[in-house]
Amino acid sequence: MSNTNSRRTFLRSSTAAIALPFLPSLGFQPFANTASAGSIITNAAPPKRMVFLGMGFGVTADRWYPDTATVGENYELPKILKPLKKHKKDITIIQNLMHQYSADGHAGSTFWLTGANRYAIPGQSFHNTVSVDQVAAEALGKKTRFTSIQLTAKGAGEDGHGPGSSLAWNRSGKPVAGLDTPVAAFHKMFSKDSTPLAQRQKILNEQRSVLDTVMSDAKSIERKLNRTDNQKLDEYFQSVREIEVRLSKEEKWLGIEKKTPKAKLKEPGDLEGVAEIRMMYDLMVAAMQVDASRVFTYRMPANRMIQSQGATMSAHSMSHYSEGERRTVSEKRDTGHAKLLSEFFDKLKASKEPDGSSLFDHCAVSFGTNLSSVHTLKNCPTLIAGGGAGFRQGRHLVMDDPKTPLCNLWLSVLRGSGINVDSFGDATGVIEDLFQL
Amino acid sequence: MLVSLWASFCSICLFVPLVISDRASAQELVHRTAAMPQKYSDVFKKYCYDCHDSDTQEGSVDLEAIPFEISKDIGTAERWAKVLNAINSGEMPPEDSQPIADKAKLEFLDALSSEMVLARKILSDSGGVITMRRLNRREYQNTLEALTGIRPDVSNLPDDQANEGFDTTGASLFFSSDQLEQYLDVARGALKLAMYPPKRKSRTRRIEPEEYYTPHYEGVVKELKRKQANAEAYAAQSEKPPSAFDMLDEYQAKKQLVNMRKWLPQVEEYIARPETQTGATLIMTIKYGGMTTVKLPTLGPAEHGKYTIRMRAAAYKDAPERFQYVEFTSGLGKRRNHLGWRKVDGTLDDPEIVEFTFEHRPGEKLSYRIHQRSHQDRGDKNLWTVDMEKNGIGTPPGVWVDWAELIGPEPVDSKLLPTMLPDRPKSWSEKKYARAALKHFAEEAFRGRVPTEEYVDKLLGHYQAQRAKKLNVKDSMIEPMAIVLSSPSFLYMVEPKASEAGDTLLSDYDLAVRLSYFLWSTSPDKELMKLAKTGMLSDPAILRKQTTRMLADEKSDRFVRGFTHQWLEMERIDMFQFKGRDFPTFDNAVRANAREEIFSTVGLMLDEGLPLKTLLKSDFAVVNDLMADYYGLPEVKGHEFRKVSLPRKSIRGGLLGTAAVHCMGSDGVRSSPVERGAWVLRHLVNNPPPPAPPNVPQLSRLDGEPLSGPELQRAHQEQPQCAQCHQKIDPIGFGLENFDAAGQWRATETVKVKTGKREKRLKEIEFKIDPSGKFPGGSRFSDFFGLRDEIAKHEDDFARGFTESLIEYGLGRPFGFTDQDLADEILNATQNSGYNIGESVHALIQSKLFRSR
Repeated sequence: MSNTNSRRTFLRSSTAAIALPFLPSLGFQPFANTASAGSIITNAAPPKRMVFLGMGFGVTADRWYPDTATVGENYELPKILKPLKKHKKDITIIQNLMHQYSADGHAGSTFWLTGANRYAIPGQSFHNTVSVDQVAAEALGKKTRFTSIQLTAKGAGEDGHGPGSSLAWNRSGKPVAGLDTPVAAFHKMFSKDSTPLAQRQKILNEQRSVLDTVMSDAKSIERKLNRTDNQKLDEYFQSVREIEVRLSKEEKWLGIEKKTPKAKLKEPGDLEGVAEIRMMYDLMVAAMQVDASRVFTYRMPANRMIQSQGATMSAHSMSHYSEGERRTVSEKRDTGHAKLLSEFFDKLKASKEPDGSSLFDHCAVSFGTNLSSVHTLKNCPTLIAGGGAGFRQGRHLVMDDPKTPLCNLWLSVLRGSGINVDSFGDATGVIEDLFQL
Repeated sequence: MLVSLWASFCSICLFVPLVISDRASAQELVHRTAAMPQKYSDVFKKYCYDCHDSDTQEGSVDLEAIPFEISKDIGTAERWAKVLNAINSGEMPPEDSQPIADKAKLEFLDALSSEMVLARKILSDSGGVITMRRLNRREYQNTLEALTGIRPDVSNLPDDQANEGFDTTGASLFFSSDQLEQYLDVARGALKLAMYPPKRKSRTRRIEPEEYYTPHYEGVVKELKRKQANAEAYAAQSEKPPSAFDMLDEYQAKKQLVNMRKWLPQVEEYIARPETQTGATLIMTIKYGGMTTVKLPTLGPAEHGKYTIRMRAAAYKDAPERFQYVEFTSGLGKRRNHLGWRKVDGTLDDPEIVEFTFEHRPGEKLSYRIHQRSHQDRGDKNLWTVDMEKNGIGTPPGVWVDWAELIGPEPVDSKLLPTMLPDRPKSWSEKKYARAALKHFAEEAFRGRVPTEEYVDKLLGHYQAQRAKKLNVKDSMIEPMAIVLSSPSFLYMVEPKASEAGDTLLSDYDLAVRLSYFLWSTSPDKELMKLAKTGMLSDPAILRKQTTRMLADEKSDRFVRGFTHQWLEMERIDMFQFKGRDFPTFDNAVRANAREEIFSTVGLMLDEGLPLKTLLKSDFAVVNDLMADYYGLPEVKGHEFRKVSLPRKSIRGGLLGTAAVHCMGSDGVRSSPVERGAWVLRHLVNNPPPPAPPNVPQLSRLDGEPLSGPELQRAHQEQPQCAQCHQKIDPIGFGLENFDAAGQWRATETVKVKTGKREKRLKEIEFKIDPSGKFPGGSRFSDFFGLRDEIAKHEDDFARGFTESLIEYGLGRPFGFTDQDLADEILNATQNSGYNIGESVHALIQSKLFRSR
């Protein structure tokens, strides 16, 4: 029955209380107001977006970084990054960024976007803090159906990412779950729900009532527990609260159908490795085209990537490369990522905003990991692109201080994108160089 | 190939529960601090104050003001960590200033890195607090199975073993934002299946593999012959183009001529075997189908249950032993799962019946296959080529299969299944019944804790909402029951806080829960609950009797596996891939059985009450036919693991004789003496080296050329940053060098070195192995046997390390200084029994800490 309904009917049927999102096709002014605190975005500008791409195990360090003797615009792009040559003007490679507290040689993602000290809390053997994408999502995610989108890959636990469920960590430093296949991501972002509105409202109410029931049990045991246990139980409460927030948002969007991009988007098949990453990139582009979300993180597969490139070893074996096959596989992986990124940038550049600019112009893409190579944790490989944060791209930057906090970059991305937070992680300031005109 | 010092150095695993080996008494340890001895201020004075005194403070680093008590607070520890990193990485002192003299640097780093380990322990000590813990993924799965009779697929839940330490440690068991919904999903799936237990009859389906393979290979022969004739006819003339002979071009014509000669003999030989008219010979072909597999009927998502594969088969006795086994797998490609292996003993004249039992999981659609043993990579194909070049045919076959039957599902005795819904008394209204049923289910799920009336009312509300949707009674129960299985009282082990009177002893119910999850990784059974109800479980004698009963139950296998796997860091067995070409006998079967060997050894020690030192050195091994073949031990028949006496001076016996341990101490290519040495220090002699420091610069002069063991060992002594740990690690690691990466004995090490640009051009270099050395703090040894004896002397240290791990696993909190008294208590109690595992478990369970919250 609902299939015959036009979008308009849905809109009419929804109550006045529903906040209407940005829908250019219906003639609404994109980004009608800038409620986010301290936003510098002007009313007419297309929205700012952020993408963080984490690769787990590090890179082939002696071939991946450009020569430190050549900085600025006139640097030579390393041979293994050759597929990015056409975008050289629009990307920047930064050297000498690191997290001062990192000590784990197998965790490329756990602290990558947080910079936390895992031992910061006495009596605890693991601690993390909020990740940069989640801070960004609080500001950028208000107007979109999905506050942020977390993508990850099956089996990522063995891919050198370290503990976590995605690259994202919430305000209490707990892992945020991710969508682990292109199929799951597709359905979440684009699948139309044919269930009638009234029934969907009912389902939402039922979900709320489930939360109400489990909370009744939680509260009854809360009284019996001591402080430490209650802190633990608080994780459960936090989880329930987050679902509640999500349900409220879902309710607001109930009358509005999910949009699919103009270019036909088919349900992805069972993809692995290179094809899987390419599809996830495509899905992110599509999601940006219809403004489903503005903040994306992707914890990429490593084992499946190299295996799809013909390797028969594990990514961990590869990461301990020495001359010979392991090094060949490692370099091939680096070039493979460069090629995928290059295609991603092509598509972002080809997607136009209503004002004629491209998605790429308003997107801040960060690609890298917390591991340089093997177990080296300094000089985290960092490649940034896009015009979202207002950085001057096209350069090779080598920080003077070899221990420049990676959080300085994250703070720069936030502030550059108009999110005026006081600080982030252990940042000592922004990287001024990036904003140089 | 470069074997970098860096790669071998840093492969020390970082995910290790740190264990303290100090001999100081527990009392002393509780109040202990980690401090740098004051004498090292001289080092600062001499080498650092130029820039980092209180006046200059370059880079805002003031070493004059840094407290020498590292464990003072986290800030101080972080400052010292920076000092350690700066010196380790060679960043400090800078190049233009005076370097620290080697000896002083070595001493300084040695002292600082061990104090840092201690400081981390002190600062992260939980102070004896056991944080309430969530059921980990293993426990959740087992518990759901106990409640519903359905073992759910939990692969979408977070893998709690990926965290550092044991997966029973409450503080590390998180609850992420959408985990609640994942629990609801898993529970709904399991409950749906549980409400309607299948009532299918067992049936037998027979496969005659020759029906497919004989015509298949006959067709292949015909096709290959035709291609060969074409290629030969083309080669014999010069006028007509390749296309006239059904070939694309010159290149294909040439290839075809060569390839047909390679491939044809094997298939011709196959169809010439008379037995292939009545069965299939399991061969590996390069083209035309790869491995010959007997494919059994595919089982669908609703066909779960226990199945038996029965087959009539014979072995070719002249084939290498590896090929006289069959491998049972499910799925294809990367999703292939190895179910098990069976050796075939029958002959073509007198075939035998081989049986293999497996479980088909609910919700899965899978095909099951029988074939020869396989490697993780494409090694089987490489080995086929090697064999073909030798014998002109390829890898000789090992097994012939007459027929195979798939029998099942085995009927389930419904009396053994949990009752999901009790019968409804006639006089009860539906509402009364539903409420009572839900309350009962919640009590069961909450392990005896009674839910509040308000909660039960809410559950009833969900039931009624489902009923209002026209669902039947059973289906309407699914949602409220799934909610029960996602509620905190089910997901967490709730142990109420101490009473006002300060009584910290656990209630009998809570004790039953802790006990049951410790030894069975699941909820308490009826007997435990009954004893808890009557308040008798906490009686020491009854508690002991119950512990004995639980250890004898087969469910205690979960303790053996869960504990041993994490205690010995056995996840490393799967960390690296081994190439079939380089390790032809170390295949999927050996890897899986090598792991089972360790579990079976610990299990047998528990059953027979053997002393713990059995793991350090023993005159027997616990093996099955497959591992016995791999080790070259005679006279072991059958796939069950059992005790087998070893000849005098055998390299086997004890952990250091197992393939698993040596495989864990390798990177899949070469053995890693550093990894092995560090593992022995951590787990066998309880003297762990500090974790590998990140960012230690690689010794660049080692690039490109592989080094022999002693050369590497010397290289490790060159820089004080390396020497501080390697002087302890290396002698042990190099003493084990007679074992290759796959745990086989060798007299020399052969290393393949790339000579040209292409990978295939490899040159082999042979290194002599010199295992002799001096045990750190012990005597000299001349070979592996001497080293093993040295290690065996550390029985007491080994027991302490084991006990600390057991406490951590059992109490569910990281072992801290506050637990030293308990460790001593257990060690004293078990010393006379040779620290046997069962006695250690008893001592822990009887301890006051285990019985307290």
